[in-house]
Amino acid sequence: MSRAVGRKPSTASRRFALRDWRFTVLSVAIIAAAWVELTSSGRVSDLFLPGPALLWSGLVDLVEHGYKNRPLGVEVLFSLERVFIGFGTGAIFGTVLGLAMGYYRRVDAVCSPYVEFLRPLPQLAYLVLLIAWFGIGEAPKIILLFLTAFPVAAVAARDGVRNTSRVRILAARSLGAADWQIFRYVIFPSALTDIFTGARLALGLVYATLIAAEIIAGSTGIGWMVFDAGRFLRSDYVFVGIGIIGLTGLALDRFFVALERRIVHWAGK
Amino acid sequence: MKIISESLSKPDAVLDRGAFLRCAGIAAGAAAAGASFPMPASAAVPDTINIAFFTETKPTEIAKGLGWFAQAVGTARINWSEVGSGAEINTAIAAGSVDVGLGIGSSPTAAGISQGIPYQLVGLIDNIGPAEELTVRGSLHIRSPADLKGKTIGVPFGSTSHFRLLGLLKEYGLTESDVTVLDLRPDALVAAWLRGDIDGAYVWSPAKSKLLANGGVPLRTYDKLDAAGYVIADLIVARTAFGQQYPAAVSALLRAYGRALALWRTQPAEAAAIVGKQAGVTAEVARHDLEEYDFVSLREQLSPDWLGAPGHPGTFTGVLKRTADFLVEQKSIRSAPALSVFGQAVNTSFLTEATRSSGT
Repeated sequence: MSRAVGRKPSTASRRFALRDWRFTVLSVAIIAAAWVELTSSGRVSDLFLPGPALLWSGLVDLVEHGYKNRPLGVEVLFSLERVFIGFGTGAIFGTVLGLAMGYYRRVDAVCSPYVEFLRPLPQLAYLVLLIAWFGIGEAPKIILLFLTAFPVAAVAARDGVRNTSRVRILAARSLGAADWQIFRYVIFPSALTDIFTGARLALGLVYATLIAAEIIAGSTGIGWMVFDAGRFLRSDYVFVGIGIIGLTGLALDRFFVALERRIVHWAGK
Repeated sequence: MKIISESLSKPDAVLDRGAFLRCAGIAAGAAAAGASFPMPASAAVPDTINIAFFTETKPTEIAKGLGWFAQAVGTARINWSEVGSGAEINTAIAAGSVDVGLGIGSSPTAAGISQGIPYQLVGLIDNIGPAEELTVRGSLHIRSPADLKGKTIGVPFGSTSHFRLLGLLKEYGLTESDVTVLDLRPDALVAAWLRGDIDGAYVWSPAKSKLLANGGVPLRTYDKLDAAGYVIADLIVARTAFGQQYPAAVSALLRAYGRALALWRTQPAEAAAIVGKQAGVTAEVARHDLEEYDFVSLREQLSPDWLGAPGHPGTFTGVLKRTADFLVEQKSIRSAPALSVFGQAVNTSFLTEATRSSGT
């Protein structure tokens, strides 16, 4: 799965924007052929890597009967709901705080120790604490995803504000713009590119954290399904689950790219 | 060095991950020893034995803590890796990175044999009996399984406790819509219990002791479930290729375990103190936990009631088969093989050898 988040639209990426689809197809075809060859020759046990037939029957079984008495679609919805709420609130609050941190040095001085500390912290480190503090319902799962998205969005928005060209701020001021006007019409639009980059980065991390979130007192969600199936080496279910997580993640990422092109249409120009 | 070139010359050896890792292990071991010495296949002593274990209050901790395992095998160095579930042992043995799994539960073992994981059941530690039991909140006045309707119960999924809880629900006509069953690790179970988020938990000690100390009472059903075929046990498995190459080492490990069990039988106070120190609990807690397990001596294991003599699989084979069938019903595994496959997966020749030389 391509998760090329964090890539800023620059001259270089514009040149490669027109992707050569022939190479993409070729690359996928080679990997698929290797997969078919390795699994059909029996050189790799299906406990490690299921063959195409097994994967297909696993998918059909999941679609028809669901996983452990719950339809597959419901599992996916459970996960998407958590991702939307956790990522949505984390990205919005993070961005607001980040803008304030970028604009007011004192806010930055107060908040950055926590934001910087939280950002690289592995979620598994505080998994049991989340249960002790927030119980076993939806709250700890969503809070975990929130805590993943929040610092990333905050740092991106802060850096976006800081990267605003001084010349443009001075120019606006000399034209008589008030502080709020400078923020609204100069700083905010300029920071949008970084905000979008941060949002895509945060979304990728939220997706990566989904399994950790759902194994807190699980039994619902696609992340939990992958974890639970892995316990019995049900590699067919594991790969179907991974495929679903990967494809929905990719779709959301593409959605953000499209949104960014629409809103920040001037970027890189 | 000879071993390496031989296994690499087999056409499929490079892509067989197990063989590859074994080669790497042997190569590393030989390099560490600084010399390659000739070893006849049967009497060989392995350079390193990779053993997966659980931290738990059992005599295995005595043999481990006092170095009896290493001593019994001879010159071998033991590479201990702690695991949190039998599923991890299955995965590690399938990948060839673990040789012996100590204390793996009967349900992951039944799953592993069904999936063709290349290992054999070589010994039995205990019949779990009341040591794993449903603990419910005392204040809820739950007197029978029917009172569980509408309650929330936590259990580590894929464990022997999970297997017996599902059996309990089935036997008493409860479905998963009557009772909410949540997947929680033992440490998380204790946290959720202390917050009051769950009404019951099916788990083993030390988590179980903590629940009992905090307002929990056991809802005794294990005897009925055992009678209904939901017997659960803790076992010892060895990678098939390892057992073939180093049969003496496997027997020696079993003998060391037998010696530890004998210590618990003859000097319980001393044994409990050692186990407590190893497992990180007080001697009193260790002794209480040890008393709940029905440990089966090496000699008893060879009787038809358990694993049976070599070539004559005992009734425990049927337990494995029933467990596997139930896991298929639960859709945890794809299919369960015939009873005879489980019989073939039980290899008591190591046990026979161990009892012959030790008398336990």
